[in-house]
Amino acid sequence: MFRLYTKIAWRNLVRNKIYSVINVAGLALGITAFLLILEYVSFEKSYNNFHKNLRNIYRLINEDVKGVTWPQVEPGWAMKAKESLPEITSYCRFEEGTAKGIVRADGENTEPFRESDIGYAEGNFFEFFDFNLLKGQAAALKAPNTVFISQKTATKYFGNTDPIDKVMTLSNQFGEAKYSVKGIFNIPENSDIRYEMVFSLETLKNPANLNGNNWAALDNLGSQYINTYFQLSPNTDYKILEKKLTNLRNQLKQDKDGVVFRLQPFANVHLPASLSDTYQTTGNLKYVYILTTIAFLILLIAWFNYINLSTANSLKRANEVGVRKIVGATQGSLVMQFLGESILVNILGFSLALVLVTLIQPVFNQVMKKEITLATLTRTSDWIRGFALLVVGSLLSGIYTAYTLSNFNPVETLKNKLTKTTKGGYLRKTLVVSQFAISIALVLATILIYQQLQYMQNKNLGMNANQMLVIRGPEIGRDSTYKQRKSSFLNQVQSESFVQDFTASGTYPGGWYNFNTSGFTQPGSKSGDELKSYAFAIIDNRYLDAYQIKLKAGRNFTEAECAVEWNDNSKVMLNERAAAELGFMSAEEAVNKKIKWDERALEVVGVVKDYHHTSLQRAIDPMIFYPQNNSTYMAVRLGTQHMKQDIDRLETLYKLSFSGNPFEYFFMDENFNKQYATEQQYGQLFTAAAVWAIFIACLGLFGLTTFSVESRTKEIGIRKVLGASITDITRLLSGDFLKLVIIAAVIAFPLAWFGIQSWLQDFAYRVSIEWWVFIIAGAAAMLIAFATISIQAIKAAMSNPVKNLRTE
Amino acid sequence: MIKITNLEKIYRTEEVETVALNKLSFEVKEGEFVAVMGPSGCGKSTLLNILGLLDDPDAGSFLFNGIEVAKFNERKRADLRKHNIGFVFQSFNLIDELTVFENVELPLIYTGVKTAERKRIVEEALDKMQIMHRRNHYPQQLSGGQQQRVAVARAVVNNPKLILADEPTGNLDSSNGNEVMQLLTDLNEQGTTIVMVTHSEHDARYSHRVIRMLDGQTVMENLMA
Repeated sequence: MFRLYTKIAWRNLVRNKIYSVINVAGLALGITAFLLILEYVSFEKSYNNFHKNLRNIYRLINEDVKGVTWPQVEPGWAMKAKESLPEITSYCRFEEGTAKGIVRADGENTEPFRESDIGYAEGNFFEFFDFNLLKGQAAALKAPNTVFISQKTATKYFGNTDPIDKVMTLSNQFGEAKYSVKGIFNIPENSDIRYEMVFSLETLKNPANLNGNNWAALDNLGSQYINTYFQLSPNTDYKILEKKLTNLRNQLKQDKDGVVFRLQPFANVHLPASLSDTYQTTGNLKYVYILTTIAFLILLIAWFNYINLSTANSLKRANEVGVRKIVGATQGSLVMQFLGESILVNILGFSLALVLVTLIQPVFNQVMKKEITLATLTRTSDWIRGFALLVVGSLLSGIYTAYTLSNFNPVETLKNKLTKTTKGGYLRKTLVVSQFAISIALVLATILIYQQLQYMQNKNLGMNANQMLVIRGPEIGRDSTYKQRKSSFLNQVQSESFVQDFTASGTYPGGWYNFNTSGFTQPGSKSGDELKSYAFAIIDNRYLDAYQIKLKAGRNFTEAECAVEWNDNSKVMLNERAAAELGFMSAEEAVNKKIKWDERALEVVGVVKDYHHTSLQRAIDPMIFYPQNNSTYMAVRLGTQHMKQDIDRLETLYKLSFSGNPFEYFFMDENFNKQYATEQQYGQLFTAAAVWAIFIACLGLFGLTTFSVESRTKEIGIRKVLGASITDITRLLSGDFLKLVIIAAVIAFPLAWFGIQSWLQDFAYRVSIEWWVFIIAGAAAMLIAFATISIQAIKAAMSNPVKNLRTE
Repeated sequence: MIKITNLEKIYRTEEVETVALNKLSFEVKEGEFVAVMGPSGCGKSTLLNILGLLDDPDAGSFLFNGIEVAKFNERKRADLRKHNIGFVFQSFNLIDELTVFENVELPLIYTGVKTAERKRIVEEALDKMQIMHRRNHYPQQLSGGQQQRVAVARAVVNNPKLILADEPTGNLDSSNGNEVMQLLTDLNEQGTTIVMVTHSEHDARYSHRVIRMLDGQTVMENLMA
């Protein structure tokens, strides 16, 4: 029986080629999108799962009075907490960012590289976490001046030679130090903790290795720069422990900053447990949810296609059902037969989807910026749920069709009466409306995402990033001659004719601030104002001019003010937000006023017009500008001609003054727009989803039009004999479907508006949703639908009426 | 074998009520060959559908081998049908996607006959209908007469007690028509009861008795010589 069912199913597929291709292709496309997204979701959910003690590890985080959380805490808490709280069985600290610098392998002719994916980590790093140690003993990191490097880094610095016990020099803000390579590791891609080089934190225990940066002392409770992870005894109530930790903080911390300690389960560091979880995470749960919804919607469109086409096509098979019933088939056996066919179509669709996934994977990975494969699916149990959904969906769509078919009355089918019924018509219409509603909503979302992206990229930022080349400052050779060499370099740069402007500063627009800090007050401040956070930017006297940032009131820093040592400086500038935050009624009022930074008195010499230092997702922060000759970033505005020669010239000058340092630069406008990478990713993804959805929906529409034309052949013939034109017939055949698209648009509009509105809430500066966007999306859907329908409608309209009338 | 008494069937639409069978009564004995004749719309096909357990009567009694089947549910009707009744239609009603062999095999599959046994029975039936050489062809590859021979083979393959034929020669030329009528006569001579709806007086002559219908009622019965 099974053999026969399969045989007839296959023959039916071959016989009805158009339907079969549309059905299989539609399902394959739907399943492809679903599998790709399922891979991504599975990958995201698999983050950090490889740590054996994942369930007992927690990250210590700060939460301020506004509920903002951040994971960088003072390094001294780990020891203090372990000493006084027995629930903590061990801890591991590691930092990210402060170690950044230039690394060179010792030896002749070795090349220095600027490294940013490096950090100092606790000696037990490779015991506390479960990274794959390819060479070396984990405990070796407990000794000072040791380093563990990734396999990739080993090849980069040492080629094929064994790097163990080789020496590397790290030059960074802590000066120059030598480290002996003691291990090679491999960190899986689904790890939030990612390093190419792990230097022993133990090194910083020695004050001599801090190079005057006492803020980094490992027992200090003043500077927040380190990640602290605790391993707790099983069954510890971490919520109670959080309170104990905050109590400890309140007892020992001198500044009363209102910050409380929170413990974030390591398992929730990448993706939070729910959307209401506001703790800082490295992944984006909202994104995962949006993608999952898109995957499901596309799959739904594919299944709707299947149901539509199968039920439409089923009328053609009514006769077969009649005959089978007459020769003894029961409804049950017919359901089984048609369900078998549905399973066959789904299996074909699934097989084709696997091929498509393999083909599309590289492009998908490029958009998602991940290295994922079909094997990624199995990293979490989600694939079981995903596949169960595929099976259940396929069965449900199959059962509906099978039931409809098997329910035909044999007497009616054998009289060919069924081809004239409207059985399933309403369902088909509903499904077409749903398919187009989903598609139109996706088109709307795509248009709005790109509008927002364009808005962010084109908005006047209050500064000029064009032609601004930012050169990373040197790390190597910061000796007693450094100041003089730096000054000489900047003078040479200034004298070059192609240089329109330049500045050296601790930060740049599009980069983050030097740091965020609180403790600023003015005589009129209220209690609690000292807890307000301000962004801190270290700049020189050329910063405002170079970036074309305007002054609102007062004056800029002088060259002399920038030359004053950090602790001796008494001048600052504010931006308009900071002036307002401090309680000044206007920019002018703030000028020449004294403000306090904890105990230090600072004079406001000027107020800078608000400009966007960070992306437009974020509202302009209140900023404090501090004068210093800092050379972390040296920015040069170039002319538009001879760019290549100009950069080469800068490199020559740079290498003359800072030999041994790699010359690294980037263009600021490109860098600023990199902040919108996620939105660009969203845009690409929604475009793909919208095109995908519309294509599948149109495949279905094409199939339904074919069916409609076939079942109305005689009608078309009679109409033509009576004088109908091609336009009349096309209008007749397309009118019904276009009405459905209009209904779909009416349903999609409010749903899309609601979804987009909620997405836009994440942006401090956003586009308003214009009415014409809806018209464009609706019109586009109508046009595409009409084009799809027209193919068959015009063909039918142009056919010979005599032939049409012979068909019955 | 068949006894119907006061059988009624009324088709209703929103505006029109059509009486297809109006208190119809007659009997068909085992081994009989009965032809049912009458003008279009007199209720012949409705009668055949009810006799074939494809449709329910609205009222009246239908005894099949002494069992009241008028109120049987779909499952019981399907069961009774597949073991006892074979159908031959004017338009053959073969499944286009199945070969000749597979079409004839179909009733045996639904009655659960084993594969090897099916092969033997189907080949026997095809042999008897002289269509064995076309066993692997599809219906579209056959002439009308050949298709009807396949349909008759499918109707008899389960060895039914009753064959219901609905204008079996309606789509055939006279030569092929005569061949099919001869097949039915042969089957009847071997003991199969046959009820045949026809417009053809020529075909009716093959039967033992002709029931003439008008407006859902029997108007005359003739015994054939």
